[in-house]
Amino acid sequence: MTLSPALMNPAAPSGTTLVPIPIRAGLVFAAIAPVAAGALLFARSGHAAPLVVTPVVALGVAAITSPALYIALAATGGAPSPAVVARAVAMALAAFGIALAGLLLPTAFLSLSAVSPWTAVAVVSTALGAAALIALVRLGSELDLRGLAGRGVLVVWAMSAVGVAGRLWFDVLVEVMHVQHG
Amino acid sequence: MSSMVDLLLRDREQMLARIRTGEPTAILRAMVLTIVGAMAVFGAALGSYRGGIQIAYAAVKLPLVLLGTAALSAPVLTAIGASLGRRVRMAEDLALVMSALAFGALVLAACTPLVLLGRAVDMSYHAMTLAMVGMFAFAGMCSLRMVVKALGLEGSRGGMPALATLCVVFALVGGQLSWALRPYLVRPRSPDIVFLREREGSLIDAVVQATSSARGIYGRDFAPVPE
Repeated sequence: MTLSPALMNPAAPSGTTLVPIPIRAGLVFAAIAPVAAGALLFARSGHAAPLVVTPVVALGVAAITSPALYIALAATGGAPSPAVVARAVAMALAAFGIALAGLLLPTAFLSLSAVSPWTAVAVVSTALGAAALIALVRLGSELDLRGLAGRGVLVVWAMSAVGVAGRLWFDVLVEVMHVQHG
Repeated sequence: MSSMVDLLLRDREQMLARIRTGEPTAILRAMVLTIVGAMAVFGAALGSYRGGIQIAYAAVKLPLVLLGTAALSAPVLTAIGASLGRRVRMAEDLALVMSALAFGALVLAACTPLVLLGRAVDMSYHAMTLAMVGMFAFAGMCSLRMVVKALGLEGSRGGMPALATLCVVFALVGGQLSWALRPYLVRPRSPDIVFLREREGSLIDAVVQATSSARGIYGRDFAPVPE
């Protein structure tokens, strides 16, 4: 995997500063990397659905549930402005894309060298889960919520979003592996 | 190149400073050559347990395992770090990972006399295998310590989670690649020597199968027991 030169930011401050991700480049990664992850499952199962469903699940769940995050944060009195929340969500999606892109090479090696298609399923699912976790950590850092209520809202929202995405992903896998085994 | 290897062995803090401020490409080249040389020496020593062509086979395969694993895994450090707010420094990260692996490879090369001693005193195959695992674990710890130190000096956000992810990925990829390229250590009485064993699935497949067998779930109708 090679990162876009646009991501190189030598002028960025070091130390404990949160270095911003160029959002446009990051979102390109967020759009492409899930397709590549789906392609790995397609290569092992011959079922084309993961090619489309993987990015739809990843990006769709974030798009559908993020307004609820803003509403809940605002209702509990801890919400930054809508622009800040939108930027934080975009940054988290970019983080998801870059993290998943970084994991693609080892994921491809492990899934394509395995004999059992279930190993490929486990490896790809783990990579997607790890990238999602990293995106949630980034979202928390970007929002920088101080109050207990705001943090609680973020945790509940994150659990809901991961639960919805996980259920959709599970259904896709059942369908794909059902076809694989006739 | 020899001065760089000497620096790596004697003063790793200075080496880390050179990676941050110097020319990562030159360091990278020197470290790749160091890994190839050191792992070939250790591989040849392992191959000498069986002798013959296995010396050459193991000397070729062990550097491939380490370099292949590094090539597949190193971008993880940069990507995960960048996702969590660390500055993107791909060339420096690659130089850091390769330097740490080169240090581990040199530690293994230093263990070569122990391998030869095991052969000289006719140490059993299983004891030799365990000794080899111990040597690799020790060398891996030495490499890991160097990367931890580098990220600690850097003090940036996202460095340690990225390192933890790199360790998991490195273990999985390294385990699978070394599994695919085995054998390295062959019993002295083994009549046939092969460069690669037939493909028998991945390391993860084998672990899953062994777990199932332990629970009494068998994937085949008979066990390969002698008649």
